[in-house]
Amino acid sequence: MLLDLPVLKKGSFYFIKEDNTNIILEDKTKRGLEIKETSVDEKLNVKADKGMIHDMDGIGHWVPIRWYFSKESFELSQVVIHAEAMEEKYTKLRELTCPDDDD
Amino acid sequence: MIFLTKLGKTINYERKFELFMSYAHPEVLVDTEWVSQNPPNENRKLVEVDYDPVNGYEKGHINGASLIWWKRDINDPVTRDIISKKEFEALMIKNGITADTEVILYGDFNNWFAAFVFWVFKIYGHENLKIMNGGRKKWELESRDYTTDEPQFSSVSYVAQPPDEGLRAYLFDVSRALGKEDTVMVDVRSPAEFSGQITAPPEYPMEHAQRGGHIPDANNIPWATAVNDADGTFKAVEELKQNYEPKGVTPDKDVICYCRIGERSSHSWFVLKYLLGYPKVRNYDGSWTEWGNMIGNPVEK
Repeated sequence: MLLDLPVLKKGSFYFIKEDNTNIILEDKTKRGLEIKETSVDEKLNVKADKGMIHDMDGIGHWVPIRWYFSKESFELSQVVIHAEAMEEKYTKLRELTCPDDDD
Repeated sequence: MIFLTKLGKTINYERKFELFMSYAHPEVLVDTEWVSQNPPNENRKLVEVDYDPVNGYEKGHINGASLIWWKRDINDPVTRDIISKKEFEALMIKNGITADTEVILYGDFNNWFAAFVFWVFKIYGHENLKIMNGGRKKWELESRDYTTDEPQFSSVSYVAQPPDEGLRAYLFDVSRALGKEDTVMVDVRSPAEFSGQITAPPEYPMEHAQRGGHIPDANNIPWATAVNDADGTFKAVEELKQNYEPKGVTPDKDVICYCRIGERSSHSWFVLKYLLGYPKVRNYDGSWTEWGNMIGNPVEK
Protein backbone atom coordinates (compact mmCIF):
# COMPACT_ATOMS: atom_id res chain seq x y z
CA MET A 1 0.00 0.00 0.00
CA LEU A 2 1.32 3.41 -1.00
CA LEU A 3 -0.21 4.91 2.13
CA ASP A 4 2.00 2.76 4.36
CA LEU A 5 5.28 3.65 2.69
CA PRO A 6 7.84 5.58 4.71
CA VAL A 7 7.80 9.34 4.15
CA LEU A 8 11.25 10.74 3.35
CA LYS A 9 10.20 14.37 3.13
CA LYS A 10 6.99 16.36 2.99
CA GLY A 11 5.86 19.85 2.08
CA SER A 12 2.53 21.62 2.13
CA PHE A 13 1.70 20.21 -1.28
CA TYR A 14 3.78 17.03 -1.59
CA PHE A 15 5.01 13.82 -0.01
CA ILE A 16 8.19 12.03 -0.97
CA LYS A 17 8.04 8.34 -0.12
CA GLU A 18 10.09 5.30 -1.04
CA ASP A 19 9.61 1.67 -1.84
CA ASN A 20 12.25 -0.92 -2.69
CA THR A 21 12.93 0.40 -6.16
CA ASN A 22 11.55 3.93 -6.40
CA ILE A 23 11.50 7.31 -4.78
CA ILE A 24 7.87 8.36 -5.09
CA LEU A 25 6.76 11.97 -5.35
CA GLU A 26 3.07 12.52 -4.60
CA ASP A 27 1.05 15.64 -5.44
CA LYS A 28 -1.15 16.20 -2.37
CA THR A 29 -3.60 18.35 -4.36
CA LYS A 30 -4.52 15.27 -6.40
CA ARG A 31 -5.45 13.20 -3.34
CA GLY A 32 -8.47 10.97 -3.96
CA LEU A 33 -8.28 11.24 -7.73
CA GLU A 34 -8.92 7.94 -9.49
CA ILE A 35 -5.86 6.51 -11.26
CA LYS A 36 -6.91 6.05 -14.88
CA GLU A 37 -3.55 5.05 -16.30
CA THR A 38 0.12 4.67 -15.45
CA SER A 39 2.46 5.91 -18.14
CA VAL A 40 5.55 8.03 -18.69
CA ASP A 41 5.14 11.69 -17.78
CA GLU A 42 6.77 13.44 -20.72
CA LYS A 43 7.76 16.46 -18.65
CA LEU A 44 9.79 14.57 -16.04
CA ASN A 45 10.39 11.48 -18.18
CA VAL A 46 9.51 9.04 -15.41
CA LYS A 47 6.59 6.67 -14.90
CA ALA A 48 3.57 8.34 -13.30
CA ASP A 49 0.08 7.47 -12.09
CA LYS A 50 -2.35 9.75 -13.92
CA GLY A 51 -5.93 10.82 -13.42
CA MET A 52 -8.26 13.22 -15.18
CA ILE A 53 -9.60 16.55 -13.94
CA HIS A 54 -12.45 18.32 -15.71
CA ASP A 55 -12.32 22.09 -16.11
CA MET A 56 -15.15 24.64 -16.13
CA ASP A 57 -16.05 23.63 -19.68
CA GLY A 58 -16.12 19.93 -18.87
CA ILE A 59 -12.92 19.19 -20.77
CA GLY A 60 -10.83 16.48 -19.15
CA HIS A 61 -7.11 17.05 -18.61
CA TRP A 62 -4.63 14.32 -17.75
CA VAL A 63 -2.76 15.14 -14.55
CA PRO A 64 -0.01 13.23 -12.75
CA ILE A 65 -0.92 12.07 -9.25
CA ARG A 66 2.46 10.58 -8.31
CA TRP A 67 5.78 10.03 -10.06
CA TYR A 68 8.05 7.01 -9.69
CA PHE A 69 11.76 7.96 -9.78
CA SER A 70 13.85 4.83 -10.08
CA LYS A 71 16.48 4.60 -7.35
CA GLU A 72 18.91 3.37 -9.97
CA SER A 73 18.75 6.68 -11.79
CA PHE A 74 17.75 9.27 -9.20
CA GLU A 75 18.99 10.54 -5.86
CA LEU A 76 16.61 11.97 -3.27
CA SER A 77 18.11 15.42 -3.81
CA GLN A 78 17.06 15.35 -7.48
CA VAL A 79 13.49 14.44 -6.56
CA VAL A 80 13.41 17.22 -3.98
CA ILE A 81 14.17 19.74 -6.74
CA HIS A 82 11.01 18.66 -8.57
CA ALA A 83 9.05 18.64 -5.31
CA GLU A 84 10.12 22.16 -4.39
CA ALA A 85 9.29 23.44 -7.87
CA MET A 86 5.78 22.02 -7.39
CA GLU A 87 5.60 23.54 -3.91
CA GLU A 88 6.53 26.96 -5.31
CA LYS A 89 3.95 26.72 -8.11
CA TYR A 90 1.09 25.86 -5.71
CA THR A 91 2.19 28.45 -3.14
CA LYS A 92 2.06 31.14 -5.82
CA LEU A 93 -1.39 29.93 -6.88
CA ARG A 94 -2.61 30.06 -3.29
CA GLU A 95 -1.24 33.55 -2.88
CA LEU A 96 -3.06 34.59 -6.02
CA THR A 97 -6.44 33.29 -4.88
CA CYS A 98 -6.17 33.55 -1.09
CA PRO A 99 -3.54 36.17 -0.23
CA ASP A 100 -2.33 36.08 3.34
CA ASP A 101 -4.07 38.68 5.52
CA ASP A 102 -0.74 39.65 7.04
CA ASP A 103 0.67 40.80 3.69
CA MET B 1 -24.38 -25.31 -35.88
CA ILE B 2 -25.21 -22.26 -37.99
CA PHE B 3 -28.88 -22.96 -37.42
CA LEU B 4 -28.37 -23.10 -33.65
CA THR B 5 -26.46 -19.84 -33.67
CA LYS B 6 -29.18 -18.16 -35.69
CA LEU B 7 -31.87 -19.60 -33.43
CA GLY B 8 -29.95 -18.35 -30.39
CA LYS B 9 -29.79 -14.89 -31.89
CA THR B 10 -33.50 -14.96 -32.69
CA ILE B 11 -34.36 -15.85 -29.11
CA ASN B 12 -32.03 -13.11 -27.91
CA TYR B 13 -33.67 -10.52 -30.17
CA GLU B 14 -37.13 -11.61 -29.06
CA ARG B 15 -36.14 -11.23 -25.42
CA LYS B 16 -34.68 -7.79 -26.11
CA PHE B 17 -37.83 -6.79 -27.97
CA GLU B 18 -39.96 -7.92 -25.02
CA LEU B 19 -37.82 -5.89 -22.63
CA PHE B 20 -38.07 -2.80 -24.83
CA MET B 21 -41.82 -3.12 -25.24
CA SER B 22 -42.38 -3.47 -21.50
CA TYR B 23 -41.25 0.13 -20.97
CA ALA B 24 -44.05 2.68 -20.65
CA HIS B 25 -42.72 4.57 -23.69
CA PRO B 26 -40.57 2.19 -25.74
CA GLU B 27 -40.63 4.68 -28.60
CA VAL B 28 -38.00 6.82 -26.84
CA LEU B 29 -35.28 4.16 -26.95
CA VAL B 30 -33.23 2.62 -29.74
CA ASP B 31 -30.34 0.21 -29.39
CA THR B 32 -26.88 0.37 -30.93
CA GLU B 33 -27.72 -2.27 -33.53
CA TRP B 34 -30.71 -0.25 -34.72
CA VAL B 35 -28.55 2.87 -35.02
CA SER B 36 -25.94 0.97 -37.02
CA GLN B 37 -28.68 -0.23 -39.41
CA ASN B 38 -30.52 3.10 -39.65
CA PRO B 39 -28.08 5.88 -40.47
CA PRO B 40 -29.12 9.52 -40.31
CA ASN B 41 -30.87 11.02 -43.32
CA GLU B 42 -32.98 14.05 -44.26
CA ASN B 43 -35.63 13.19 -41.65
CA ARG B 44 -33.48 11.49 -39.03
CA LYS B 45 -30.59 13.15 -37.21
CA LEU B 46 -28.08 11.58 -34.89
CA VAL B 47 -26.62 13.86 -32.22
CA GLU B 48 -23.77 13.10 -29.84
CA VAL B 49 -24.08 15.01 -26.57
CA ASP B 50 -20.82 15.35 -24.70
CA TYR B 51 -19.63 16.81 -21.44
CA ASP B 52 -16.08 16.44 -22.72
CA PRO B 53 -16.05 16.61 -26.54
CA VAL B 54 -12.25 16.79 -26.69
CA ASN B 55 -12.05 13.26 -25.28
CA GLY B 56 -15.29 12.17 -26.98
CA TYR B 57 -16.71 13.49 -30.26
CA GLU B 58 -13.45 14.96 -31.51
CA LYS B 59 -11.62 11.66 -31.10
CA GLY B 60 -14.37 9.85 -32.99
CA HIS B 61 -18.14 9.61 -33.23
CA ILE B 62 -20.82 7.60 -35.02
CA ASN B 63 -20.91 8.35 -38.73
CA GLY B 64 -23.29 11.21 -39.48
CA ALA B 65 -23.59 12.41 -35.90
CA SER B 66 -23.35 16.11 -35.10
CA LEU B 67 -22.25 17.45 -31.73
CA ILE B 68 -24.07 19.19 -28.91
CA TRP B 69 -21.53 20.25 -26.31
CA TRP B 70 -23.41 20.44 -23.03
CA LYS B 71 -21.50 23.38 -21.62
CA ARG B 72 -21.32 25.48 -24.80
CA ASP B 73 -24.56 24.65 -26.58
CA ILE B 74 -27.22 23.91 -24.00
CA ASN B 75 -26.33 26.37 -21.24
CA ASP B 76 -26.58 30.14 -21.29
CA PRO B 77 -23.00 31.42 -21.61
CA VAL B 78 -23.33 33.97 -18.79
CA THR B 79 -26.22 33.24 -16.43
CA ARG B 80 -26.58 29.78 -14.93
CA ASP B 81 -29.59 28.57 -16.90
CA ILE B 82 -30.51 26.43 -19.87
CA ILE B 83 -30.63 28.15 -23.26
CA SER B 84 -33.63 30.26 -24.20
CA LYS B 85 -36.25 29.25 -26.77
CA LYS B 86 -34.56 31.43 -29.36
CA GLU B 87 -31.14 29.89 -28.65
CA PHE B 88 -32.69 26.42 -28.79
CA GLU B 89 -34.14 27.18 -32.21
CA ALA B 90 -30.73 28.36 -33.42
CA LEU B 91 -29.15 25.16 -32.08
CA MET B 92 -31.69 23.04 -33.95
CA ILE B 93 -31.02 24.91 -37.19
CA LYS B 94 -27.27 24.48 -36.72
CA ASN B 95 -27.81 20.72 -36.38
CA GLY B 96 -30.14 20.48 -39.40
CA ILE B 97 -33.13 19.61 -37.23
CA THR B 98 -36.71 20.64 -38.02
CA ALA B 99 -39.69 20.30 -35.67
CA ASP B 100 -40.60 17.02 -37.43
CA THR B 101 -37.13 15.47 -37.45
CA GLU B 102 -36.57 12.20 -35.64
CA VAL B 103 -33.62 12.92 -33.34
CA ILE B 104 -31.50 10.22 -31.72
CA LEU B 105 -29.29 11.33 -28.86
CA TYR B 106 -26.35 9.50 -27.36
CA GLY B 107 -23.25 10.57 -25.52
CA ASP B 108 -20.36 10.23 -23.12
CA PHE B 109 -20.58 9.74 -19.35
CA ASN B 110 -23.25 7.03 -19.48
CA ASN B 111 -25.67 9.22 -21.47
CA TRP B 112 -26.07 11.62 -18.51
CA PHE B 113 -25.73 14.68 -20.70
CA ALA B 114 -27.73 13.11 -23.53
CA ALA B 115 -30.54 12.70 -20.98
CA PHE B 116 -30.12 16.33 -19.93
CA VAL B 117 -30.43 17.42 -23.57
CA PHE B 118 -33.42 15.10 -24.00
CA TRP B 119 -35.00 16.99 -21.09
CA VAL B 120 -34.26 20.37 -22.71
CA PHE B 121 -35.67 19.15 -26.06
CA LYS B 122 -38.85 18.17 -24.21
CA ILE B 123 -39.01 21.52 -22.43
CA TYR B 124 -39.11 23.15 -25.87
CA GLY B 125 -41.62 20.62 -27.16
CA HIS B 126 -39.66 18.45 -29.60
CA GLU B 127 -41.79 15.35 -30.16
CA ASN B 128 -39.84 12.77 -32.09
CA LEU B 129 -36.91 12.12 -29.79
CA LYS B 130 -34.97 9.02 -28.76
CA ILE B 131 -31.95 7.96 -26.77
CA MET B 132 -29.51 5.31 -27.94
CA ASN B 133 -29.44 2.84 -25.05
CA GLY B 134 -25.98 2.53 -23.53
CA GLY B 135 -24.49 5.57 -25.32
CA ARG B 136 -20.84 5.69 -26.29
CA LYS B 137 -19.99 3.12 -23.65
CA LYS B 138 -22.00 0.35 -25.31
CA TRP B 139 -21.02 1.40 -28.83
CA GLU B 140 -17.36 1.11 -27.85
CA LEU B 141 -17.84 -2.16 -25.96
CA GLU B 142 -19.21 -3.59 -29.18
CA SER B 143 -16.14 -2.32 -31.08
CA ARG B 144 -18.29 -0.44 -33.55
CA ASP B 145 -16.79 2.12 -35.93
CA TYR B 146 -16.24 5.81 -35.32
CA THR B 147 -15.36 8.58 -37.74
CA THR B 148 -13.93 12.07 -37.32
CA ASP B 149 -15.87 13.42 -40.32
CA GLU B 150 -18.43 16.04 -39.39
CA PRO B 151 -21.76 16.16 -41.21
CA GLN B 152 -22.90 19.15 -43.25
CA PHE B 153 -26.55 20.19 -43.16
CA SER B 154 -28.76 22.01 -45.59
CA SER B 155 -30.58 25.11 -44.39
CA VAL B 156 -33.68 24.42 -42.25
CA SER B 157 -36.04 26.39 -40.04
CA TYR B 158 -37.28 25.54 -36.55
CA VAL B 159 -39.99 27.01 -34.35
CA ALA B 160 -39.91 25.65 -30.80
CA GLN B 161 -42.82 25.47 -28.36
CA PRO B 162 -42.99 27.75 -25.32
CA PRO B 163 -41.04 26.15 -22.44
CA ASP B 164 -42.90 23.42 -20.56
CA GLU B 165 -42.07 24.50 -17.01
CA GLY B 166 -43.89 21.46 -15.67
CA LEU B 167 -40.77 19.40 -16.35
CA ARG B 168 -38.50 21.61 -14.30
CA ALA B 169 -38.26 22.19 -10.56
CA TYR B 170 -36.81 25.43 -9.26
CA LEU B 171 -35.39 26.19 -5.83
CA PHE B 172 -38.76 27.67 -4.89
CA ASP B 173 -40.58 24.44 -5.83
CA VAL B 174 -38.19 22.33 -3.80
CA SER B 175 -38.45 24.60 -0.75
CA ARG B 176 -42.23 24.50 -0.99
CA ALA B 177 -42.22 20.72 -1.26
CA LEU B 178 -40.34 20.22 2.02
CA GLY B 179 -42.42 18.18 4.42
CA LYS B 180 -45.19 17.52 1.91
CA GLU B 181 -46.32 13.91 1.81
CA ASP B 182 -47.42 14.01 -1.81
CA THR B 183 -43.99 15.08 -3.08
CA VAL B 184 -40.98 12.81 -3.00
CA MET B 185 -37.39 13.89 -3.56
CA VAL B 186 -34.94 11.55 -5.30
CA ASP B 187 -31.26 12.29 -4.72
CA VAL B 188 -29.45 10.34 -7.43
CA ARG B 189 -25.90 11.11 -6.27
CA SER B 190 -23.50 8.61 -4.76
CA PRO B 191 -23.96 7.62 -1.09
CA ALA B 192 -20.77 9.56 -0.23
CA GLU B 193 -22.26 12.76 -1.66
CA PHE B 194 -25.65 12.08 -0.07
CA SER B 195 -24.13 11.63 3.39
CA GLY B 196 -22.02 14.77 3.05
CA GLN B 197 -18.73 12.88 3.18
CA ILE B 198 -17.79 14.64 -0.06
CA THR B 199 -19.42 17.51 -1.97
CA ALA B 200 -17.92 16.46 -5.32
CA PRO B 201 -15.38 13.89 -6.47
CA PRO B 202 -11.85 15.26 -6.99
CA GLU B 203 -12.30 14.92 -10.76
CA TYR B 204 -14.77 17.83 -10.69
CA PRO B 205 -13.15 20.60 -8.62
CA MET B 206 -15.52 23.19 -10.11
CA GLU B 207 -18.66 21.51 -8.80
CA HIS B 208 -18.28 21.81 -5.04
CA ALA B 209 -20.81 23.32 -2.66
CA GLN B 210 -20.29 25.07 0.67
CA ARG B 211 -22.22 22.39 2.54
CA GLY B 212 -22.35 18.61 2.20
CA GLY B 213 -25.41 16.46 2.77
CA HIS B 214 -28.84 16.30 1.18
CA ILE B 215 -32.24 17.95 1.04
CA PRO B 216 -34.25 16.86 4.10
CA ASP B 217 -36.20 13.61 3.62
CA ALA B 218 -34.73 12.98 0.17
CA ASN B 219 -34.29 9.34 -0.87
CA ASN B 220 -30.86 8.30 -2.03
CA ILE B 221 -31.38 6.23 -5.18
CA PRO B 222 -28.15 6.62 -7.19
CA TRP B 223 -28.61 6.98 -10.96
CA ALA B 224 -26.41 3.91 -11.47
CA THR B 225 -28.97 1.64 -9.84
CA ALA B 226 -31.15 2.13 -12.95
CA VAL B 227 -28.60 0.75 -15.40
CA ASN B 228 -26.84 -2.52 -16.08
CA ASP B 229 -23.26 -2.09 -14.93
CA ALA B 230 -21.80 -4.11 -17.79
CA ASP B 231 -22.92 -1.94 -20.70
CA GLY B 232 -24.80 1.06 -19.28
CA THR B 233 -28.17 0.04 -20.72
CA PHE B 234 -31.33 0.59 -18.73
CA LYS B 235 -32.58 -2.19 -16.47
CA ALA B 236 -35.83 -4.00 -17.20
CA VAL B 237 -39.12 -2.56 -15.95
CA GLU B 238 -39.54 -4.97 -13.05
CA GLU B 239 -36.04 -4.24 -11.76
CA LEU B 240 -36.66 -0.50 -12.10
CA LYS B 241 -39.90 -0.75 -10.15
CA GLN B 242 -38.05 -2.57 -7.38
CA ASN B 243 -35.52 0.22 -7.39
CA TYR B 244 -38.00 3.00 -6.69
CA GLU B 245 -41.29 1.75 -5.27
CA PRO B 246 -40.01 0.27 -1.97
CA LYS B 247 -38.55 3.71 -1.17
CA GLY B 248 -41.90 5.42 -1.65
CA VAL B 249 -41.13 6.74 -5.12
CA THR B 250 -44.45 5.75 -6.65
CA PRO B 251 -46.47 6.99 -9.64
CA ASP B 252 -49.07 8.70 -7.43
CA LYS B 253 -46.44 11.15 -6.12
CA ASP B 254 -45.03 14.39 -7.44
CA VAL B 255 -41.40 13.36 -7.97
CA ILE B 256 -38.43 15.74 -8.00
CA CYS B 257 -35.01 14.41 -9.01
CA TYR B 258 -31.75 16.16 -8.26
CA CYS B 259 -27.99 15.52 -8.22
CA ARG B 260 -25.07 17.99 -8.31
CA ILE B 261 -25.62 19.94 -11.54
CA GLY B 262 -28.77 18.29 -12.89
CA GLU B 263 -27.34 15.89 -15.45
CA ARG B 264 -27.45 12.58 -13.55
CA SER B 265 -30.90 13.55 -12.27
CA SER B 266 -32.15 14.05 -15.83
CA HIS B 267 -31.06 10.45 -16.45
CA SER B 268 -33.26 9.28 -13.55
CA TRP B 269 -36.00 11.73 -14.65
CA PHE B 270 -35.93 9.94 -18.04
CA VAL B 271 -36.19 6.53 -16.35
CA LEU B 272 -39.13 7.51 -14.14
CA LYS B 273 -41.05 9.48 -16.76
CA TYR B 274 -40.46 7.48 -19.92
CA LEU B 275 -39.49 3.97 -18.90
CA LEU B 276 -41.82 3.66 -15.92
CA GLY B 277 -44.40 6.18 -17.11
CA TYR B 278 -44.74 8.24 -13.92
CA PRO B 279 -47.07 11.15 -14.73
CA LYS B 280 -45.40 13.90 -12.66
CA VAL B 281 -41.60 13.97 -12.57
CA ARG B 282 -39.48 17.10 -12.53
CA ASN B 283 -35.77 17.65 -12.79
CA TYR B 284 -34.27 20.12 -10.31
CA ASP B 285 -31.28 21.23 -12.39
CA GLY B 286 -30.11 23.73 -9.79
CA SER B 287 -29.42 20.60 -7.74
CA TRP B 288 -26.85 20.43 -4.95
CA THR B 289 -24.60 23.16 -6.38
CA GLU B 290 -27.56 25.49 -5.80
CA TRP B 291 -29.14 23.99 -2.67
CA GLY B 292 -25.87 23.38 -0.83
CA ASN B 293 -24.61 26.90 -1.51
CA MET B 294 -27.69 28.88 -0.47
CA ILE B 295 -27.59 30.57 2.92
CA GLY B 296 -30.23 29.23 5.25
CA ASN B 297 -31.30 26.19 3.24
CA PRO B 298 -31.97 23.20 5.51
CA VAL B 299 -29.48 20.36 5.07
CA GLU B 300 -29.69 16.82 6.36
CA LYS B 301 -26.66 14.57 6.79
